[in-house]
Amino acid sequence: MKKDSTSYTVWFTFVVSLFFVLLLAFANELTSGRVAANQRFAERSAILDSLGLKASGVAATDEAAALSAAALSAAAVQDASTSEAVDTVFDRSVSVITADSARFLLYKAVVDGEVRYAMGFSGAGLWGAILGVLTVNADVSRIRGLSIVAHNETPGLGGRITEAWFTDQFRDEQIPPAGIRVRQGSGAGDTNKDNGELDAVTGASLTSKSIEKIVNAQISVFRSLFEQGGLQ
Amino acid sequence: MNGAASSGKNKAWAVLRDNLWWNNPVFIQVLGICSTLAVTNNLTNTFIMTVGVSLATAFSSATLSAMNKAIPAKVRMITQVLVISFYVIIIDIVLRAYLPAVSKSLGPYVGLIITNCIIMGRAEAFARSNTPLLSFWDGLTSGIGYMAFLMGIAAVREFLGFGSLFGFKLAPPGFTPWTIMVMAPSAFFLVAMAMWALKSLQESMTAHKKGGKK
Repeated sequence: MKKDSTSYTVWFTFVVSLFFVLLLAFANELTSGRVAANQRFAERSAILDSLGLKASGVAATDEAAALSAAALSAAAVQDASTSEAVDTVFDRSVSVITADSARFLLYKAVVDGEVRYAMGFSGAGLWGAILGVLTVNADVSRIRGLSIVAHNETPGLGGRITEAWFTDQFRDEQIPPAGIRVRQGSGAGDTNKDNGELDAVTGASLTSKSIEKIVNAQISVFRSLFEQGGLQ
Repeated sequence: MNGAASSGKNKAWAVLRDNLWWNNPVFIQVLGICSTLAVTNNLTNTFIMTVGVSLATAFSSATLSAMNKAIPAKVRMITQVLVISFYVIIIDIVLRAYLPAVSKSLGPYVGLIITNCIIMGRAEAFARSNTPLLSFWDGLTSGIGYMAFLMGIAAVREFLGFGSLFGFKLAPPGFTPWTIMVMAPSAFFLVAMAMWALKSLQESMTAHKKGGKK
């Protein structure tokens, strides 16, 4: 078969594509367990973090939090022992309630002597979906925590919504009747917990506006659950 | 490019020298500019990204060079894209499985490595007419030349834009961050200025070598 003949070209392209695609499928299969475990670890850590079951910042007195101090340090590289600790804290402290909105589960935990509810959300960011977890107190008057699980925003700009200074603003923030507002501020974080206002990420106004919309939508979900008596 | 009949070691040295300085993929060949502008507001992201590009270029150049004789002319570029995509996806899978935090931090940019002109550029310009081993070296050194330039830009952008380097806060307390450094326009200015400075330096070095003749 001559190298430039049509039949060789077709045959060659088919074989080469098949070969590389098979290798990729194999590599994917090999790592799928790990990737799924990473995903689970990230989701559970986000739920725990949003609930306030984390060592840094929250002065919790129960032993679950003491465990979580070891469980949730850094979380930069996940290994088996860390994910086991996260699973332990999660299974011990968090109970799952199936709510009407079947897409996301409602989680309940007692933290610092108060009942808190956490639920995952998915909303439209600038470039793609933003997935995260929002936690509120029992009467939906304050946000107790926000954590971002996944997003497709611009690294270094919109991607900064995952940084501690941004999400920490939401901790214990009062929820005004019309919902919270994310507005252009100092860019270093709004420390006033009673104004219902938060600093946007400087240079990422659209992503910040998306967060505002998404969080307010989730607050509405919590509110309607509360009114229907779903939050006990 | 070294045209003399040199030994293997000389050729390797010439490739290294060219890809790092005289024929640098970014400031001389003007390739890979999109990622340069996008990813350099953060040193850690830049480092991971450039390592990814270096590995992808090295391995795909080597593979393509090995496949050289078998590839029909009509599907040459399609095959190059296939091989490059393969290695980029492998990198993506490895990051997602073993370095999930980094994978999240880089987000869509890992998949976009395939669009980096440097990789295809080296496949066309070098791997087509050189041995696999030398092609691997050429790919690796092109990536290192790319890395050196990008890390320089990133150091300036991250320091002035965030007051930190590799995430470690280094600026004095009263420092007001230059937010423009975090955004794309600053990259345009900095890359242009760096290109101008480095090319001028190269030209004065060449003139000096030729005995000062202008």
